Amino acid sequence: MVNGGWVCLISPLVGFLAIMLAGTRITRRQAGIISTVSVFVGFAGAVVAFIDAWRRSPDDRTELTTAWTWLQAGQFKVGLELLVDPLSIVMMLVVTGIGGLIVLYSNGYMAGEDEERRYFAYMAFFVFSMLLLAESGNLLLLLAGWGLVGLASYLLIGFHHERPSAVAAAKKAFVMNAIGDAVMALAFFLTISHIGSLEYGTVFAAVDDGRLSDTVVTLLALGLLGGAVAKSAQIPLHTWLPDAMEGPTPVSALIHAATMVTAGVYLICRTHPVFEGAPDVQHLAALLGLATLLVAGVIALVQWDIKRVIAYSTMSQIGYMFLGAGIGAYGFAMFHLVTHAFFKALLFLAAGLVIHRLDGEQDIRKMGGLRRSMPYTHATFLIGSLALVGIPIFAGFWSKDAILASALAYGGGLGWVLYVGGLLGALLTGLYSFRLYYLVFHGEPAAEGHEAEHHGEGDRSMLVPVGVLAVGSTIVGFLAIPGVWEPFETWLEPVVEPLVTPSTTQEWATSAVAVALGVLGILLARRAFRAGRELVPDGAVRTTLEHKLWFDELYDALFERPGRAVAALLRDRVETPIVQGGLDEVAGETMRGATLTASVQSGLLRTYALAFTVAVGVLTLVFLVVR
Amino acid sequence: MNGPGIPWYLAISAILFSTGIAGVLLRRSPLIVLLSLEIMLNASNLAFVGFSRLFGHMDGQVFALAVMAVAAAEVCVGLGLIVAMARRNLDLDVDRMTELRG
Repeated sequence: MVNGGWVCLISPLVGFLAIMLAGTRITRRQAGIISTVSVFVGFAGAVVAFIDAWRRSPDDRTELTTAWTWLQAGQFKVGLELLVDPLSIVMMLVVTGIGGLIVLYSNGYMAGEDEERRYFAYMAFFVFSMLLLAESGNLLLLLAGWGLVGLASYLLIGFHHERPSAVAAAKKAFVMNAIGDAVMALAFFLTISHIGSLEYGTVFAAVDDGRLSDTVVTLLALGLLGGAVAKSAQIPLHTWLPDAMEGPTPVSALIHAATMVTAGVYLICRTHPVFEGAPDVQHLAALLGLATLLVAGVIALVQWDIKRVIAYSTMSQIGYMFLGAGIGAYGFAMFHLVTHAFFKALLFLAAGLVIHRLDGEQDIRKMGGLRRSMPYTHATFLIGSLALVGIPIFAGFWSKDAILASALAYGGGLGWVLYVGGLLGALLTGLYSFRLYYLVFHGEPAAEGHEAEHHGEGDRSMLVPVGVLAVGSTIVGFLAIPGVWEPFETWLEPVVEPLVTPSTTQEWATSAVAVALGVLGILLARRAFRAGRELVPDGAVRTTLEHKLWFDELYDALFERPGRAVAALLRDRVETPIVQGGLDEVAGETMRGATLTASVQSGLLRTYALAFTVAVGVLTLVFLVVR
Repeated sequence: MNGPGIPWYLAISAILFSTGIAGVLLRRSPLIVLLSLEIMLNASNLAFVGFSRLFGHMDGQVFALAVMAVAAAEVCVGLGLIVAMARRNLDLDVDRMTELRG
């Protein structure tokens, strides 16, 4: 089990190093192949670990190994520990499986780009970092992986570094994530100072037996939540995700849809005892998830960029996962993570086919009527959209409705708020995803110039992953059929015991309402499209939504401008007069002193000799007198 | 102990040393300056040997030998420089060589 885990972790790292060290000695194509193979080898490792774990009894599926002591400071010790258990195996399978498909897709998508080698090296590096995050056996190693995925995300968003907007987006993502990282690190410092350890087991035991006071547990949970919120682009640290769409489309699919942004959900599930020790923080997570899913849902209604619509939809779906994790439905949150990874990667990759076909066009106003010229893309995109809305048999149906049913089962005021909000979100999902679908694939072709048949629907390396993901988005939902067959929840149960379990009646009833709302959303989107009008009419509401609820402007006014003002003030009052001025003074005085000293150097040999003689004479006299 | 007493040696050493200093300070020909330096070195040698004799130690004499070796090396370099100057038709005048003025 652990061997599979090691292979899974190391293989992408080897791929990354190989591409980086080989440099121009390998062709771009070979770099792509190395990257793809290394990730698929990782997938094989994950499968081995999975099969191994499957054969064991449910209570024996957790293995923790320490390779060596990674860091030691006095009593505090951190090992390079790998934790392979059902939860991390799920993440390993998703990251390497879907990651492998996306890297394979990249071989076709990125062909002809400059600096492909760098791209493939970063992709392998990202997969490695994500696996480190998922497989780490303690919080510090998790933080290391957490930081490294942030770095990989930064590097890949800014891959087109000749575009200022890409560089700005990369910087924004990094800064936003750094806030989360810092908050998490502070919480970890607090934990170390109280119990001197960051082992999962020790920390959870300390939370349970009261060695950590309530305040400390709350602060630790808040720190973890801060990190999760930043990484998963939840309100209030969500503004980086839409901008991150500046990166190449497969990057958006892998990092900003399928894996990295869902790390926050994984974190909450992984550290659930901490959150259960601080129920208020856990409820805060659920409420933030609800707020994000609604806000992102309405903003998605007015976006014109195909990738941005999908990005907001990602935020919205992660909101569902936070909602689930926040009420203790960990199994369903993780299940939604898995199904979402399938259908969202599918949507992004299908959107990538469209963008590829239209030579980089991303504005959906300039698309339309692609149904006829791109039947394969149309079919797969439709499957992805249906899965996203949660139409029966497709994956999203099983996972999203389970989360909503859990909210219903949770009950109380909070449960009802979450339930109603989540259902409203289902309606919004239907609206925005089918607005996108109709605008792109139906109606009259908006841009005739793009219709040239010069490169079909795409390379085979692109079509195959899309097909596999489409199949996955259709069938993966059957891993959790309420009341009939629930292997996914049983699989996770030994590690993360859910706090709420909805009854089968609740699940089916919720499903009925949610599907009805989703279909209503689809029909409304269709009617609006047929009538040729937008879902949100022009006016103040639309303006607000187009400005993404003024979040960017707010942060600009709250942080950036005061920051600039303080910096300008310090430059004028401190930097220029004191720091720079002080240095100038020192330099000026030194120069004057040097000029004075230099005038002593007459160059006359005999003057020197005289000075020498007189000095020796004087010294001799002094010594004689002093003695 | 035979011969003149130590004060005589020191007196001669002092006279030689002063002669050397005067030569270095007053003469302008580099050749004479070098020569005066040699005189100063030999004055110190004389003082070394004199003290060696006074204290009955051989240290001073060993030092005198070392000074001779150094002096020989110094003369080599110094004369080499002077020959080089002469070859370039430079004035053999230390007051004219002021290129190192600050």
